[in-house]
Amino acid sequence: MAAFAAIAGRLLGLRAAGTEGRLLRLRGAGLQRALLQPASATGDAAQRRQVAHFTFQPDPEPQEYGQTQKMNLFQAITSALDNSLAKDPTAVIFGEDVAFGGVFRCTVGLRDKYGKDRVFNTPLCEQGIVGFGIGIAVTGATAIAEIQFADYIFPAFDQIVNEAAKYRYRSGDLFNCGSLTIRAPWGCVGHGALYHSQSPEAFFAHCPGIKVVVPRSPFQAKGLLLSCIEDKNPCIFFEPKILYRAAVEQVPVEPYHIPLSQAEVIQEGSDVTLVAWGTQVHVMREVASMAQEKLGVSCEVIDLKTILPWDMDTVCKSVIKTGRLLISHEAPLTGGFASEISSTVQEECFLNLEAPISRVCGYDTPFPHIFEPFYIPDKWKCYDALRKMINY
Amino acid sequence: MDRQGQIINPSEDPHLPQETVLKFYKSMTLLNTMDRILYESQRQGRISFYMTNYGEEGTHVGSAAALDSTDLVFGQYREAGVLMYRDYPLELFMAQCYGNASDLGKGRQMPVHYGCKERHFVTISSPLATQIPQAVGAAYAAKRANANRVVICYFGEGAASEGDAHAGFNFAATLECPVIFFCRNNGYAISTPTSEQYRGDGIAARGPGYGIMSIRVDGNDVFAVYNATKEARRRAVAENQPFLIEAMTYRIGHHSTSDDSSAYRSVDEVNYWDKQDHPISRLRHYLQGRGWWDDEQEKAWRKQSRKKVMEAFEQAERKPKPNPNLLFSDVYQEMPAQLRKQQESLARHLQAYGEHYPLDHFEK
Repeated sequence: MAAFAAIAGRLLGLRAAGTEGRLLRLRGAGLQRALLQPASATGDAAQRRQVAHFTFQPDPEPQEYGQTQKMNLFQAITSALDNSLAKDPTAVIFGEDVAFGGVFRCTVGLRDKYGKDRVFNTPLCEQGIVGFGIGIAVTGATAIAEIQFADYIFPAFDQIVNEAAKYRYRSGDLFNCGSLTIRAPWGCVGHGALYHSQSPEAFFAHCPGIKVVVPRSPFQAKGLLLSCIEDKNPCIFFEPKILYRAAVEQVPVEPYHIPLSQAEVIQEGSDVTLVAWGTQVHVMREVASMAQEKLGVSCEVIDLKTILPWDMDTVCKSVIKTGRLLISHEAPLTGGFASEISSTVQEECFLNLEAPISRVCGYDTPFPHIFEPFYIPDKWKCYDALRKMINY
Repeated sequence: MDRQGQIINPSEDPHLPQETVLKFYKSMTLLNTMDRILYESQRQGRISFYMTNYGEEGTHVGSAAALDSTDLVFGQYREAGVLMYRDYPLELFMAQCYGNASDLGKGRQMPVHYGCKERHFVTISSPLATQIPQAVGAAYAAKRANANRVVICYFGEGAASEGDAHAGFNFAATLECPVIFFCRNNGYAISTPTSEQYRGDGIAARGPGYGIMSIRVDGNDVFAVYNATKEARRRAVAENQPFLIEAMTYRIGHHSTSDDSSAYRSVDEVNYWDKQDHPISRLRHYLQGRGWWDDEQEKAWRKQSRKKVMEAFEQAERKPKPNPNLLFSDVYQEMPAQLRKQQESLARHLQAYGEHYPLDHFEK
């Protein structure tokens, strides 16, 4: 068994090599007796994974919320959860694998700090996680449920749509589950394929009674998550998993709130309005730079943040100014949330439009593995659509 | 057999011929070798993801050997040994992991999401337990077709907590389906130990609640797994009823390349299972005891199997990826007009912007 023991030993020795990072893959150090030649020795370094399709732009250090600390997205989430559990003795966090810190480390340290009755694993059952969470919230306690990947939220769809969303309405406001927040990792990650890449916000946008929120950064995530937790309605908070480690910025240590249903103009411009949420906001920022540099076109970039209920005033105000709108999301085109925005904007701003509204989205296919670089609505596709809109 | 490869109760010895038992051993060890190489290849950035089967090889091979080769298999994601036993070539394992042009799945899924129609192994999907009611339906159809086929459905003890498991068990019993439910109880669902997964007597104890005959076996004893599956198969087909086998084993490796299990379990615990109760070593002791294997053959086989794996690996790495048009096909059986338009727009886009895409690695 010696060889197999050595194998197990090497497996465990890989801890030092950073096995936690699904996004960090190149680990030459620590592979003592490697069975394989390093890829470069076989001469095809280009076979390695692509560079990310976006560049994270940190926001300037916030001044108004006190002391800040450098945090990545998952640390900002942990900070928000820490603040919540400190402030609200009824608050509990639960889901699969949250006790040891979570598969994305969002709950590291919380069980030790707040106890095993407040941060705990559930059996492997999403419909149970959400149903259980609704029940906690019905009593008025704060329930923070984690679904391991947004792709796995569908067993809970009945509980979310038929129960959580309708609780207050159907009972004539006798009962509600407003203190429920569901968190889930969301969006493409470079290699997630069908079941680790989905952006299902459109399914939930069709459901009055819940709120759906997607942050673009650590600072935004903490403030928006705290708002969701304290919001008196059940909320779904989608966390762009590709940003968990890649996005780093200064984030206040103390709690603060970023309002829901308020979009943010993160860059002002005069010729085209670009709307996105989550990771795609950073793609749009780059598209705006490209447009300025190559076409002399000035773009106004809006981070929608809350998908439901969404801030149509900010978007319409911008389109009235610019006359052109481009919306982009990773989720497939047909029935994606861009279609809702497009429909509303043409109703409200028809005579202001200089060109048809443009949507740059994922194709109407499941999210593919090896074809991801071709599937995603990257900056080149967005730039090209923008160019066509300008030349319309 | 016990941990030293000695048959405990001679009346339970399946008396398998040398050739068969050697096939068991070679399947398990070849899988182990492939696992080690592909796991490392992920650490080196050559494939994006991998899941190993360490410690559970006995559950795969023992059960696969007890089935007919045409019995339909619905798996979860940690059953590569079933495919290995059915002679799925290394080339195709690698092709799927690399998502290259030889992949039967056309490069669409993450590594280890194998499928093979020819070998009656339904393509894996990531969501857990979804395969359970599906397997039951397939078994019902097989019954109606008088196919004399059984369907086997593999899942872990964690997946058994999903609602789909309840649905599958209940349907199988009420609709009298020839299905074998094979639960790999390996102690963990990622970081969640069985003590947090259930409070009852494992998964086997649930079967009778549904009216399903159930048995618990030592999953690391390949002969015990074989015996249980063989008998379950015989009766499932003869009597059109489901059977539940809970194979107790241990997940020696991490959940996947995205997991570091030292964060939630001790090295000592893992080493214990690896050294004291490993299906491969137990079988090797048996083989050596019978005089069917020795250290020299072991050495030669290790070398040979490693060479086979490395060759397949190097070939897979060199092959191009499939044509990007395959992004669009098979959404439906026929391509809708709207999707064809999207396909055409990508083609136009690549003509103008192709330099920004890794087209050199894909077939034209």
